[in-house]
Amino acid sequence: MALFLLYESASGYALFEAHGFDEIGQNTEAVRNSVSDLNRFGKVVQLRSFNPFTSALDALKQCNAVSEGLLTDELRAVLETNLPRVKEGKKAKFSLGVSDPKIGSQISELTKIPCQSNEFVSELLRGVRLHFDTFVGDLKSGDLEKAQLGLGHSYSRAKVKFNVNRVDNMVI
Amino acid sequence: GRGGMKGGSKVVVQPHRHEGIFIAKGKEDALVTKNLVPGEAVYNEKRITVQNEDGSKDEYRVWNPFRSKLAAAILGGVDNIWIKPGARVLYLGAASGTTVSHVSDVVGPTGVVYAVEFSHRSGRDLVNMAKKRTNVIPIIEDARHPAKYRMLVGMVDVVFSDVAQPDQARILGLNASYYLKAGGHFVISIKANCIDSTVPAEAVFESEVNKLKADQFKPFEQVTLEPFERDHACVVGGYRMPKKKKDGAE
Repeated sequence: MALFLLYESASGYALFEAHGFDEIGQNTEAVRNSVSDLNRFGKVVQLRSFNPFTSALDALKQCNAVSEGLLTDELRAVLETNLPRVKEGKKAKFSLGVSDPKIGSQISELTKIPCQSNEFVSELLRGVRLHFDTFVGDLKSGDLEKAQLGLGHSYSRAKVKFNVNRVDNMVI
Repeated sequence: GRGGMKGGSKVVVQPHRHEGIFIAKGKEDALVTKNLVPGEAVYNEKRITVQNEDGSKDEYRVWNPFRSKLAAAILGGVDNIWIKPGARVLYLGAASGTTVSHVSDVVGPTGVVYAVEFSHRSGRDLVNMAKKRTNVIPIIEDARHPAKYRMLVGMVDVVFSDVAQPDQARILGLNASYYLKAGGHFVISIKANCIDSTVPAEAVFESEVNKLKADQFKPFEQVTLEPFERDHACVVGGYRMPKKKKDGAE
């Protein structure tokens, strides 16, 4: 059964496909060992599609939703366009690995795409995070950091601004 | 002139043992970092301008160990802070960004500092500081939930943690599992009475170190932050360190 991965980056949504992992074993240790070496990792995990955000405003909207574990129309479109179709009444022949179970349950509920998030998927996503700009050829070195910088500022500015009470969120 | 130490007295700046950090030798020695944004102080700290042999000038900012646990750990003689030019750092508990600004100086234009702070009050100062320092990515979010900022952070070389929370070992572990490279490093500041004020500080440090060991961290060294902070320790180590190869002579 095929395993896809959803990776939410500051510049867009990316879908990866993972090959050659023993589905039952889901050997976390084996993934761990392959992650640091791009030659090995690039053989087992491949980019299927990269969907850049259309604007800084769009990126902020996606970031807020991802942070809250919500599925946006844009992400839904990315998933439904790029993943195999799930036929009515039939069990899907693939699953989607996501980093946050909250967004996973939203996706499964609204699109019928089966999702999983566990240690095995987390290890794979660590590898994707490590090699992301190499995977996405369109991104020049430093582009991703620029996107993170812009998004970090707009995300954080909004957080600070929207605290109307001007009171600290006390952590007890 | 202005911003100099003891107005006009001759100051020489020498590299510190730690790459990217310097010592200003004047009447009194001071820890300094090379200002990434010359001409600007972040929190009213003193600045020192030094003329190089070729006539160019460099500006340094004084790093006060009473205001920064990382500076205190450096003066406490920590062997390696792993934060150096070009490094990518995830900084948990960034507060208003005073120490973050020095880390930003240390990693320089080729490094990145992802600075996480939950309190909106200090977060405002952090965001303002980051406007001028483009290697600092401000993240106003709860470090307990690293998934919330997964779109903003890449894989890092070092996680620095100063969250002063009872569950800080768990917070560090969670963040490392998302963002810290295998073979990367951590630096954690532990304030004993934030964790348990009923037992001696030493016992708290030991139990925190044991929690870290259970979470794929390998502590290398521990220094106390005396005389700058009371009952504080700074622990430094590695994450998911490669196993030593056995030479098959069994």
